[in-house]
Amino acid sequence: MIKRLVAAAAAGGIALALTACGGGTGAATAGGSGGDGGKVTQIKLVAAEYSKDNTAAFWNKFAAAYKAKTGIDLNVQVVSWDDIDQQSSTMLQNNAAPDILNLNAYASYAKDGLLYSSDDVLSDAVKGDLLPNFVQSGTYQGKMYGMPDLSSARALFYNTDIFAKAGIAGPPKTWDEFTADAKKITALGDGTVGYAMPLGPEEAQAEFSIWMFNNDGNWKTDGKWTVNSPQNVDTLNFLKSLAVTDKVTQNNPGKTNRTDGAFPLFQSGKAGMVVGFSPLAATLDKDAKVHYATAPMPTKAGGTPSTYGVTDYLMAFKKPGNQDAVKAFYDLYYSPDQVNTFIKAEGFLPVTKSGVQYFASDPKLSTYLNTLTGAKLTPTDDPNWDRVKLAVQQNIGAAVAPNGDPKAVLDALQAQAQSGG
Amino acid sequence: MRRTSSDGVGAAATVVPAPPRRHRPRRARAADSGRGDVRSLTALPWLGPALVLIAAVVVYPAIELVRASMSDYSITGLRKGSAGLANYAKVLAHPDLGTVLVNTVVWVLAVLVLSLVISLGLAQLLGKEFFGRKLVRWAVIIPWAASLVITARLFTLLLDYNYGIVNRFLIAVGLRDTPIDFLGDDRWTMPSMIAVGVFVTVPFTSYVLLAGLKAIPADVHEAARVDGASPWQAYTRITLPLLRPALLVATVLNIIYVFNSFPIVYTLNDRNPGFAHDTTITFMYKLAFKSADKSVGMSAAAGVANVLLILVVVLAYLRVSRWREATDG
Repeated sequence: MIKRLVAAAAAGGIALALTACGGGTGAATAGGSGGDGGKVTQIKLVAAEYSKDNTAAFWNKFAAAYKAKTGIDLNVQVVSWDDIDQQSSTMLQNNAAPDILNLNAYASYAKDGLLYSSDDVLSDAVKGDLLPNFVQSGTYQGKMYGMPDLSSARALFYNTDIFAKAGIAGPPKTWDEFTADAKKITALGDGTVGYAMPLGPEEAQAEFSIWMFNNDGNWKTDGKWTVNSPQNVDTLNFLKSLAVTDKVTQNNPGKTNRTDGAFPLFQSGKAGMVVGFSPLAATLDKDAKVHYATAPMPTKAGGTPSTYGVTDYLMAFKKPGNQDAVKAFYDLYYSPDQVNTFIKAEGFLPVTKSGVQYFASDPKLSTYLNTLTGAKLTPTDDPNWDRVKLAVQQNIGAAVAPNGDPKAVLDALQAQAQSGG
Repeated sequence: MRRTSSDGVGAAATVVPAPPRRHRPRRARAADSGRGDVRSLTALPWLGPALVLIAAVVVYPAIELVRASMSDYSITGLRKGSAGLANYAKVLAHPDLGTVLVNTVVWVLAVLVLSLVISLGLAQLLGKEFFGRKLVRWAVIIPWAASLVITARLFTLLLDYNYGIVNRFLIAVGLRDTPIDFLGDDRWTMPSMIAVGVFVTVPFTSYVLLAGLKAIPADVHEAARVDGASPWQAYTRITLPLLRPALLVATVLNIIYVFNSFPIVYTLNDRNPGFAHDTTITFMYKLAFKSADKSVGMSAAAGVANVLLILVVVLAYLRVSRWREATDG
């Protein structure tokens, strides 16, 4: 995208670049309809790139299997997470939606009436196999539109060497213990950080969610937005005090992103604790530099921990003659051979009951799997969330700055959520 | 233009059998009075490819941009209908617009002025004969040749709070006790971006000015020396005035280039929430894809405003600097 922007700037002025890009991506989209009886002979999948090594490899193999089974060509376009929002938006502007789109949101598309619901394209066997909390998060106004492709759940990662050095026996169970442990770690000096907190724009909503869920807060309660509930204000005040009063986080947590900020600190052995997920574990295992363990998140008062779960979606666009082809796509994708192979290669977690059984034998995943069925998700079933999420990413970091005002920030977000985004 | 049309006449003359000598003046007059028809038609095959290219690359996207700016889009990118001027109104009412405009002015002016000053010195140096000049000239070109995204990404590593070599250096030589958060501290973010902006703008500017210096005839300087001018007098009274065309070119091109610079501002600023350090270009991008507005229409409206803004600025500058006099004289 950026490269294209630069090229377009050279050609005619950067202000024109947005539309110039639009023409480019739209033109590349396959039409696909035609053939006998209005049935398509090819469909197009736009998939998000979870990893350079595995994503494209999986989908290309999948396309071959799909072609062998149905005789329909599956054109695969793998797009990086950085670009996929732009690309999908541009495709829709040009009336060139793909048949299947893999994204972390779906509700706005459902609201615009663009998608097939599960009634149209999922067989009963497949739908019955999906984990109920993911079915729920994929359901907009009573119909399921967002088919989960894979999931991840967060857990507290802690550096066991640092814990031993600081004389901490085990992972903290309450927020008080957490603060005390983080102080001990920070006191080790030499730039050691108690807790690496990424509240920068990349994925601030995830970091805040997991803390919020462990203080009995939520984004929505009983169908109403509760972004600025007393518990949530309390949670954000706690995060601010970690950063500003106790100074047990890395410098400037409101401007630290996850992948290029907090994770590297933990990977280099500089941070005692971080909230991570299975791909981080895979990286740490590969580097074999840092000794670590995972634990459930500490809760405010020591109650039952909640996990923050994330799932992405494979949504299907209504286009003439593609319904059967799309249905065949889902049938094949959710066959255990395919979906579990993909999830295993990418290091994520299953979205199906059969998948949970399949992965149960892997001891490394037990921390996550045990909590997966009870994992809380962000309200992706509400189209307003698609805007609220962006507002959270762009604003919540300000709350943990020295002059930040958590209550005011959450009040503004609540107003935004209630005003329909 | 002049050359193309005279070629056209020449081509017409070769097609038509050579007329008798006495008719020649009349034919010439006929061609003159028939300006328009003959010339434009015969010129078309030569102009055609360029016109098609301009239409496809400049005119069509511009029309699409204006159309998009007056449309109502869903967050998914679906066009829902016409929006009239509502997108423009929303951009003008955006609470962060003021910050963004101030940032843009600071960014363009600072990068422009610093680059020109540094480049004036550098161009003098590069114009002199010295051992290893070729190497130095190549070294100056490299920041220009490297992709802006790569350069910007490299600087995020150099300026990193935890691992950055700049902070390591500052602490090692005892200038600082604690690292500086170059890209996260609000006081340092804009200066850091400007420093990188200057770094990538200096090469081009230096070479434009170097070319300008080389175009100054040696005898003017010789005459000044004979008349007893000091080196400083020679520089301010002879070199600088004669450099004016080159300075003008460098300034105008840099205004446009720096104003439109996306990769540096975006990459160095990507960890910072909100719009506190955005210029109008990254503002436009965030409106479309990153902010809660997520509106293609607003972004397109901001894009149209950007084009108009830069046009006005450049035209105003050319007027003030009396471009014609400088370049013709």
